[in-house]
Amino acid sequence: MVKTALEEFALLIPLLPALAFVITFFFGRKMPSGGAIVPILAIATSFVISLIITLRLLANPSEVISQSYSWFAVLNIGILIDPLAAVMLSMVSFVSLLIHIYAVSYMSGDPGESRYFAETALFTAAMLSLALSDNILQLFVSWELVGLCSYLLIGFWYERPSAAAAAKKAFLTTRVGDVMFLTGIIVLTSDLLKLAGGFSDGTYLLRFDEIFSYIPQLSTLQANIFGFEVSHLTIITLLFFGGAIGKSGQFPLHVWLPDAMEGPTTVSALIHAATMVTAGVYLVTRTFPMFIAAPDSLMVVAYLGGFTALFAGTMGIVMNDLKRVLAYSTIGQLGYMMLGLGLGSAIGLEAVGISIFHLVNHAFFKALLFLCAGSVIHAVGTQDMRELGGVGKVMPITAVTMTVAALALAGFGIPGTSIGTSGFMSKDPIIEAAYLFGEHSSNWIPYIFSIAAALLTSIYIFRLIFMTFTGEPRSNYHGHESPAIMTIPLSILALFALAFGSLTRTGFMNFLEETFANSFVNLDIGDLAGIGGNKLVEAAGHEPLFVLWLPLLVAVVGLAISFVIYYLRIIKLGSLASMKNPVYRLLYKRYYQHEIYTEFFSLGIVYGIIAFLSQVFDVIIDSIVEGIGILTVGVSEELRRVQTGVIQTYATGVIVGVSLLIILIKLILEVL
Amino acid sequence: MLPVASLLILVPLIFAAVTFFTKTKTQAAGLAFLGSLATLGLTLYAYLKFDSSTAAMQFFESIEWIPSLGAKYSVGIDGISMPLILLNAIVIPFLILYSWNEDREAPNRFYGLILTMQAAVIGVFVALDFLVFYIFWELTLIPLFFMVNIWGGEKRVHASYKFFIYTHVASLVMLLGIFGLFYASWQQTGIPTFDIRELVSQFQFFESGLLRDAIFLSIIFGFLTKLPTFPFHSWLPDAYTEAPTAGSVLFILLKIGGYGLFRISLPMLPNTGSPRLIIMLLGFLGAFSILYGALVALRQKDLKRMIAYSSLSHMGFVILGSAGLVTLSVSGAMFQQFSHGLIMSILFMSAGAIQTNTGTRIINNLGGLAKKMPNLAVIMMLGFMASLGLPGLTGFIAEFLVLAFSYVNLPQFVLLALLAIVITAGYHLWAMQRAMFGVYNEKLGDVRDINSLQVFSMGIIALLVVYFGWNPNPVLNMMITNSEAIVSLAAALGV
Repeated sequence: MVKTALEEFALLIPLLPALAFVITFFFGRKMPSGGAIVPILAIATSFVISLIITLRLLANPSEVISQSYSWFAVLNIGILIDPLAAVMLSMVSFVSLLIHIYAVSYMSGDPGESRYFAETALFTAAMLSLALSDNILQLFVSWELVGLCSYLLIGFWYERPSAAAAAKKAFLTTRVGDVMFLTGIIVLTSDLLKLAGGFSDGTYLLRFDEIFSYIPQLSTLQANIFGFEVSHLTIITLLFFGGAIGKSGQFPLHVWLPDAMEGPTTVSALIHAATMVTAGVYLVTRTFPMFIAAPDSLMVVAYLGGFTALFAGTMGIVMNDLKRVLAYSTIGQLGYMMLGLGLGSAIGLEAVGISIFHLVNHAFFKALLFLCAGSVIHAVGTQDMRELGGVGKVMPITAVTMTVAALALAGFGIPGTSIGTSGFMSKDPIIEAAYLFGEHSSNWIPYIFSIAAALLTSIYIFRLIFMTFTGEPRSNYHGHESPAIMTIPLSILALFALAFGSLTRTGFMNFLEETFANSFVNLDIGDLAGIGGNKLVEAAGHEPLFVLWLPLLVAVVGLAISFVIYYLRIIKLGSLASMKNPVYRLLYKRYYQHEIYTEFFSLGIVYGIIAFLSQVFDVIIDSIVEGIGILTVGVSEELRRVQTGVIQTYATGVIVGVSLLIILIKLILEVL
Repeated sequence: MLPVASLLILVPLIFAAVTFFTKTKTQAAGLAFLGSLATLGLTLYAYLKFDSSTAAMQFFESIEWIPSLGAKYSVGIDGISMPLILLNAIVIPFLILYSWNEDREAPNRFYGLILTMQAAVIGVFVALDFLVFYIFWELTLIPLFFMVNIWGGEKRVHASYKFFIYTHVASLVMLLGIFGLFYASWQQTGIPTFDIRELVSQFQFFESGLLRDAIFLSIIFGFLTKLPTFPFHSWLPDAYTEAPTAGSVLFILLKIGGYGLFRISLPMLPNTGSPRLIIMLLGFLGAFSILYGALVALRQKDLKRMIAYSSLSHMGFVILGSAGLVTLSVSGAMFQQFSHGLIMSILFMSAGAIQTNTGTRIINNLGGLAKKMPNLAVIMMLGFMASLGLPGLTGFIAEFLVLAFSYVNLPQFVLLALLAIVITAGYHLWAMQRAMFGVYNEKLGDVRDINSLQVFSMGIIALLVVYFGWNPNPVLNMMITNSEAIVSLAAALGV
């Protein structure tokens, strides 16, 4: 039967890239191009399997693939491919495949080529395993492996001190989130143990269906924190969200992401598009039933996501580094995805649809943006936009594809129709949902955040396009168009950035909503929302026309502002964009977060405590011991006059010890 | 059937004795390697015959020794001791291979002491009679003392005496507790015995709660010092750091403190006068050791000293998991002992190789070593990742089990321990970045990579860290079986 055959192949999706890692790691050095062909074939196969499974699920969303194998104790390893996982698997393997092909040329000649391909293969394997986990622990394990690979890849050129530092920063910053995530799992585990009254044979404690079935009972558990009664579900979900904040670069743990460009540009493309940063959004989506049933959790998600989108935009407009601008745009778009999920408190499962739809579209245009940037850097040799200009003349394909990506990021399209870039197709529903949310709850903050962020996004991405591709060269560089092996992936991605959204729009989102609606676990999302005190919007009313057109309008305004300043150069920013302007300086210095985090927080406070603890405390303890030691040595010095040597000392010790013992035992027996 | 338990002591001991009389380094190392291989073979034989579905004692042997005191030579292996014997038997041959190419004076004594140490440690693990247990317990001191004292670093004399006297005093306090147990049981039943399991089960019948607490505390003091835990740890940084690499690894394999906790203290714990208080105390000591070790490690400038404090931090998980008193938390604590032995062996071997090849261990004097020592960099990175608890490697399984399941009973201490996780990642990555990455420090001259025997021996241990990280069941299942037995005792008493 076809069905069984497919299920057997599902295991191969993460396994093949993992195998490719082993082969490339040990034998890549002896192969041409560092053994790149191995991961490419492996990931291509994973993609084909994922795509077939997705298409089959599309025809019948209830044909979910679910397999569980015992791992250790009461925990399991398993595969769950429902619509959500299937979409994620297809996207990750597809984008990763294109980036791998592109990297064959981009990384050629690097002495660490085989190490590069081994690590990106493992990176992809970990991300695929994360997407198809059927339990929270496996998701965490994969999550950490993703973190490890990003550490290794950001620090790929480890001889550069800045790369080594950026890698460490990425790992430690996300680690803060990871600890929260782990704490959430620990609290959940102990709650489940209590509710289930111990272990029962045959059930795996941390499987998603098992966890979801306990949601009503979990919601009855309350903890008292600083006098507030807080539901355990809220605690657990917010701890999970803490993990997502770290991984998905949300405020305030986003600081690692802009530095992460120290790695090769292809690594940035992987991190920003397919693997790593989407993991946080995926985690919240995967556990969405818990989030919606937890009072207040989704509100936190919505606010933080909206704020991050806006916050990232303010920094994006002043950066001069090509990749840094893109890094801030990633943070911003992830903010939109989180915002979309957070709006689930009003729009229910639709939130899953719009967020993941945006995640997929974003993967296409963000991978494209990074690969285009890589193409420019590869050809020109600099990534400082002040030294670029006029690159469009020498690199036409790169210029066109990157402009397509910029249009998608800014969200250009015609409202009310299905004509528009991918970014438009998925970003607009989020903004519209924010409007709906505002109408529903009279809370307009998320909507205002999302509109303001859209304006900033448009400004900085066209600033990038104009500064890089138009005008005259501002430095001496010799550019040339990249080879076909690089431009072909660019063109494919450009096609997706342009058309994927409009071709799949409604079907796609409905498909994703099936994840929790009628497959895997049968949950009534309305009931769950009720548990969390969330009232869902009954029927979406007709939005006023301006709601549909406003996002496009701000995008056009943004484009116009950049056009005037950076293309026509009519308005000279002059002193406005100099370090003398305190606002500009604040933005350029990224709100001094680096200074605040590193010097003040970690070094100042933590080091202060540590210095105190280690120097004072450990010295005290050791001094006590040494003091006793000196007494002992004093005694042994006396004895040494008579006898010398280690054995004698030992014998003395034993004699003294035994006589002490006899005395003490006598004493004890007296007491008895 | 073979008397495996006795052979596991005898074989390394006989090989050790012969090794002492060898003349050349090749003879000494070769013979010691053969001896350790024979021990490994025996251990694998025992492992394959082992039934992990029962908590009962297997390969049991008993011979009358001093009938008037009820002392017997009795030995056996169960799910608590099997994994630790396995750990010892696996690491020692690779330790000998690792140090094969090193030149040092008196190689016959060096390799002889390694095997003596192996025999002594296995002796502690298989002993079922308190006298036998104590003899082997004290025997472990001698090889370690000489290891540090003869082949150690600059402050070797100070470090060796400090270690010796400190842990010896703790052992004497423990012996006091053992005698207390012996006499009290003798009074109770009228029959003298040193049988560990008999005395542990007699413990509950002693009338005075104060006496029970005194006995319990003096015995556990010996174990906690050996483990070690805060605040009885200050022998550790000096001894671990001053020891030669092989000595540091032997210290790491000295898992007798944690073993005593599982074999003797935990079954007694529910019957003490104030079990709740003691559990709280242990939980605190465990969690605080985790945090404290990590904080102090962050401040270290010496790579080896940093690893030593990291070891202290890891041992906190053993105590925390034990105090958790849930089947899986206790299993996690047992697994942490096994995992820690493998991981720390890699770390100390790495630090040792760096010192031998560059002449320094001060982190800031290193830099960019990955370029000159690529093989070491890969293995060391894996060791560091395992040590900071990365999933997919053994450390994570142990730490997850301890944290997740201790939380049921001791949430406050688990949260305290969780604070350490970022710090732990911090000092590991900081050391890695300073020592291995960045621009190569040209002052170090031309540095060689580790030799092929070292790549092989460290590589195999690294692969085991990966293997048991994905499939802990070969040792974890027997740990769970025995933890269940320990915890059900406590549960029956409502602790």
